[in-house]
Amino acid sequence: MGLRWSRITPQLAMLPAVAIMVTAFLGSIGWTIFMSFTRSRRLPEYVIDWDRPFRQYERLFGDAGWNISLNNLVVLAFGSALAIFVGFILAALIERERRGEDFFRTVFLYPLAVSLIVTGVAWRWIFNPQYGIQHLLQSMGFENASFNWLNDPSTAMYAIIIASVWQSSGFYMALMLAGLKGINTEIWSAARIDGVGLFRVYIEIIIPMMKFTFLTCAILLSLGVIKAFDIILAMTNGGPGQSTWVPAYFTINAMSQKGNLGYASAAATMMLLITLAVFLPLVALTAWQQRVAKRGAN
Amino acid sequence: MTDAPVMYPRKPQRIKGRSIAIIVFLSMAALFFCIPLYVLVVTSFKEMEQIREGAIFSLPARWTWEAWSYAWFDACSGLTCEGLRQGFWNSVAILGPSLVASIALSMVTGYALALWKMKWAGTFLFVLFLCAFVPFQIIMYPLIRLTVSLGIYGSMTAIVFVHTALALPVLTLIFRNFYKDIPEDIIKAAVMDSGSFWRIFIEIILPMSGNILIVVLIMQITSIWNDYLIGVTFGGLGTKPMTVHLANMVTVSTGTVSYNVNMAAALLTAIPPLVIYFVLGKFFVQGIAAGAIKG
Repeated sequence: MGLRWSRITPQLAMLPAVAIMVTAFLGSIGWTIFMSFTRSRRLPEYVIDWDRPFRQYERLFGDAGWNISLNNLVVLAFGSALAIFVGFILAALIERERRGEDFFRTVFLYPLAVSLIVTGVAWRWIFNPQYGIQHLLQSMGFENASFNWLNDPSTAMYAIIIASVWQSSGFYMALMLAGLKGINTEIWSAARIDGVGLFRVYIEIIIPMMKFTFLTCAILLSLGVIKAFDIILAMTNGGPGQSTWVPAYFTINAMSQKGNLGYASAAATMMLLITLAVFLPLVALTAWQQRVAKRGAN
Repeated sequence: MTDAPVMYPRKPQRIKGRSIAIIVFLSMAALFFCIPLYVLVVTSFKEMEQIREGAIFSLPARWTWEAWSYAWFDACSGLTCEGLRQGFWNSVAILGPSLVASIALSMVTGYALALWKMKWAGTFLFVLFLCAFVPFQIIMYPLIRLTVSLGIYGSMTAIVFVHTALALPVLTLIFRNFYKDIPEDIIKAAVMDSGSFWRIFIEIILPMSGNILIVVLIMQITSIWNDYLIGVTFGGLGTKPMTVHLANMVTVSTGTVSYNVNMAAALLTAIPPLVIYFVLGKFFVQGIAAGAIKG
């Protein structure tokens, strides 16, 4: 559909949006990618370094901080995937037992309404070695209980994962709940007549039927993990040492602390490539889903 | 969106053992989800002496507002010691214009894309879709230079501008998806009647947008209020939002840390979006479904 009566006004109305997309997005992305091939330090140099155009990237891959960041990205992605699992369990239980649906949904979703800075304050307090859970457990007689996760480089990432699972489980629950409600309830009666157990219905019928929902969740989770910054800043500020650095943190650190523009641009470009690697399957998925839907309609 | 498409009447049943088990399990999970909020609340009302005893879950021996009033009026954030109130009013001042600008711009753009035929509309939609996923870091420095050259860097105008720009792709896609389902006949009749782009927008489109508008409004209020990165990057002295003040307050620790003040400050920051969430939760859920692509 489309209206043809007035051609000029709608195009004029689009002008601000087009200007923003061209300058703030496309132009800016191009500029940053260009910068990553220059030797810019504090100020931009508009000359590509033809002798070694990839010098920033070479440095980046040799940087221990960057390798830690990539490692943590994978750890965070797999750890946070727990939120999809928790979200599905909660959604399935809520959907099975309709009583109290609104109440439980409200409780599981409220962390999403709160700033991640606040989330960080709350969880850091719980993990506080002097007055937090650790102290409580020790005073209850568990002398060896150790909950000082945030100050230990080998466990700090897990503390962040717990906080982010707490924060995002409700989100996946809401998506799963919408998916579950789209499933025809006759499946349940059919399964009951055949005497199939509840657990098997979920494993063999429901979960395969919800593969699109699961894939969407997985992709959204990956995109969220790449962007993770606030939670890291609020929980550990990257520490102890560099042990909880992630690419988003690394990039901003390279820009604002080290003041190295070319280097930060290379890191930002790598972030964009990682995003694309996750994003392209999403496009393929959407296309596939539409084809399946079309075939189903015929 | 969230309503079940088909609802079969369920036979009234007695509460069975399985139901009880499910409800007990869900209640325990709900309790676990409430732990962080609970410790924030009880700690903020305690006195430091009691906090030092280390019983994190215990109720305050004496409930006191002292930490709250200190966090609001006197707590130090960076170099200034004027409490969180400055940050609060900054956040309010950022929120209003950002909401109006981002929603108005993407609404008009979404309307134009959905209902008016333009040759390059498909390309533009694809660009919007791609840019909805771009990490902020890759456009951060160019945006700083852009705001510097516009002479607004460090001001609230810069923060509002960046919020508006960054929300544009997702919000435009949401509005466009909403408007493209408007029946063709309605628009055709309207065009016969006047044909003016703006008159159709104001007389027909706006009155139809109530539902999507409130969903987007809630989405934007929470995301703008809770933003940290844009505020810290583009805000200057005296223009930084509440989240930045809070982060400075809790990380810069000289001398003994007043945990009760920190918790009160965190709660003060969390209260506005929480109130909106508990009052308008239904729309919040719809916003999640609509903005799912936002991630």
